[in-house]
Amino acid sequence: MTTAYAKHEHHEFLAAANEALHNANLQLALSQLGDTLGQRNKAAFAALECSAELRERARAIKNATLASLDEHLATLADAVERRGGQVHFAADAEDACRIVTQIAREENVRRVVKSKSMTTEEIHLNPALEKAGIEVVETDLGEYIIQLAQQRPSHLVAPAIHMRIKEIAETLSRAAGHPLPEEPTELTAFARRALREKFATADMGITGANFAVAETGTIVVVSNEGNARLTTTLPRVHVAIVGMEKVIPKLAHLPVFLKILARAATGQKLSVYTSIISGPRRGGELDGPEKFHLVLLDNGRSRILGSPLRESLFCIRCGACLNACPVYRNIGGHAYGGVYAGPIGAVLTPLYDGLVANEHLPHASSLCGACQAACPVKIQIPQMLIQLREALHETPERHGRLERLAYRFWAASLRSGRRYRIGSWLASRTLGLAFRQQRWLKTLPGKLAGWTDERDFPAPAPRRFRDWWKKEGQA
Amino acid sequence: MNRDTFLQQVRHAVLRGNAFQVATRDLPPSTGYVGVAGDYMDRMAREVAEVGGIPHRCEHLTAAREVLAELLRKHKPKSALSWEHPLLDELGLADVLNQAGITLLSYSSLASLPVQERRARILAADIGITSADYAIAETGTLAVCARPGQERVASLLPPVYISVIRRDQVSPDLFDLFERLDAAGLDRLPSNVTLITGPSKTGDIELYLTTGVHGPGTWHVILID
Ligand code: SF4
Repeated sequence: MTTAYAKHEHHEFLAAANEALHNANLQLALSQLGDTLGQRNKAAFAALECSAELRERARAIKNATLASLDEHLATLADAVERRGGQVHFAADAEDACRIVTQIAREENVRRVVKSKSMTTEEIHLNPALEKAGIEVVETDLGEYIIQLAQQRPSHLVAPAIHMRIKEIAETLSRAAGHPLPEEPTELTAFARRALREKFATADMGITGANFAVAETGTIVVVSNEGNARLTTTLPRVHVAIVGMEKVIPKLAHLPVFLKILARAATGQKLSVYTSIISGPRRGGELDGPEKFHLVLLDNGRSRILGSPLRESLFCIRCGACLNACPVYRNIGGHAYGGVYAGPIGAVLTPLYDGLVANEHLPHASSLCGACQAACPVKIQIPQMLIQLREALHETPERHGRLERLAYRFWAASLRSGRRYRIGSWLASRTLGLAFRQQRWLKTLPGKLAGWTDERDFPAPAPRRFRDWWKKEGQA
Repeated sequence: MNRDTFLQQVRHAVLRGNAFQVATRDLPPSTGYVGVAGDYMDRMAREVAEVGGIPHRCEHLTAAREVLAELLRKHKPKSALSWEHPLLDELGLADVLNQAGITLLSYSSLASLPVQERRARILAADIGITSADYAIAETGTLAVCARPGQERVASLLPPVYISVIRRDQVSPDLFDLFERLDAAGLDRLPSNVTLITGPSKTGDIELYLTTGVHGPGTWHVILID
């Protein structure tokens, strides 16, 4: 049931997408997504007064912050140190993994508990720690299931959305050593018990951050389950790995983002737990970590910051664009091949991972605009996908002579009114008349068959609109 | 990578990227302030119920003490992990627990224990009891700050969690909370402020809502007028 592309990154997109479309279980799992999370997002924003202005304000804060990001990062680092934390700067994934592994070694860490973090997925932290002989336990229920099944997360906020309960019960039963019923409450209760033991004995907790507040040296972690709280409360060391675009200048900016994040992600007004963490525990406190490390990560972000696709750094990883996207809702997250799936993944993966290697992703969109409409910070994703397509077009080896010729012909016939009129007349006289009964072409010749393999092609009308209008339209 | 090189690289990117800024509208910082029409406490109780908590409205302390005693009879905990807080003192929490024969685990009884022993007791607690530093009516949220006597684990580890709050702790909107934190002095911001809006939840199995996955599955909120 589990196919290779659920486990590994970098694969042939079209083959994986095709496989996903024919995977009945996946299709069932995905079918609920738009009706639940997608609908809840819409209802939540509709119920909030001035939500349009609030989203605009969030966008403005992100835009202004990026315009002096270096200063805000310096402020953040100073403030974290003032509060007794240590700050590390990681240029890339390798750098970040080395830093975290080193902290773990110095602290004699044997077991790490993690709360859900896409940034640590991005840098492939788990294998790096495991190679150093450290046990890593994912504690978000979805991530825990995925880790046991040795798969990859397929959604930003619902990582196991692609799995059905039967497969989940089998996976957890293996961990339990005895069969567990296919019943969400029982399965959840098992995970609570199993993970409590891990929490109680872990030496280090690793999280990402949803936001980092510069002026106070604060990181903010949001969760519904409470695993992020346990991860930042019980182990003696807390390490937060944070992409540098997560910084916001002021504490007063935080409610703006908290108000939109949960609404966009799950339709909640607020997630159940929001942890606002400023350094390690203070004198006299009985719990909380004794040490706090912040790892600030670049890993390609400064390249994006200096590019036309700068706006993609506004993303707060809420997952709303995935739930809204007709392509994601049909193929799921794994087919995209990168760490980030869905519309925003189709932008980010080519940026992080190379455009030519991911040439299909900018095309994995109908440009319907549902992503941008759902996005709490109104990122112009369709616009960015078009820019990536243009960039691909300018890569010489990307298309054949025939294709170039076809486009040139197309452009030429659209550019002159006369040529367009003659062209449309010809089309209606030939294909239009020949297919006046069927109205649809079932097969096209040669390379064009790529279209008709999956769907029919509409035949041109036997009578052009302009001809009809001249005779009857003006009556 | 060292700090200066890292920030230098970001600086260069910022300058290049400024050509690609997006057009934005200038909106006031209060944008998105909703507030609450009508009584805060009514709204607070409604929102708590909405997110899956169980609100208990009480007119005064005596009534609240009754409710608390009733809840303890119902859940039958052996030990309670509790904050040390003026409101809980006024409520006479220690007496209520004592009469019910429930062991009180609080700062004073825990601080002197060796670390291993302390952890074992905390993990075994059956119920957690706290007040809050602030509450937000619009969303049914409590804000709990970490400090000695206000342990983080009390609202987190036990399967059942009871919060006791009073009218003067409630603000209408999330924005008010951050204004209050700001007004208290940003350099005095506690090591941890946690916003709690509901019992622990997950939808990770086929989007089916389950409570109590990591934190408390049952959340009682005693609201004192
Ligand atoms: S692009 Fe927008 S909608 Fe998509 S995950 Fe990011 S913030 Fe959410």
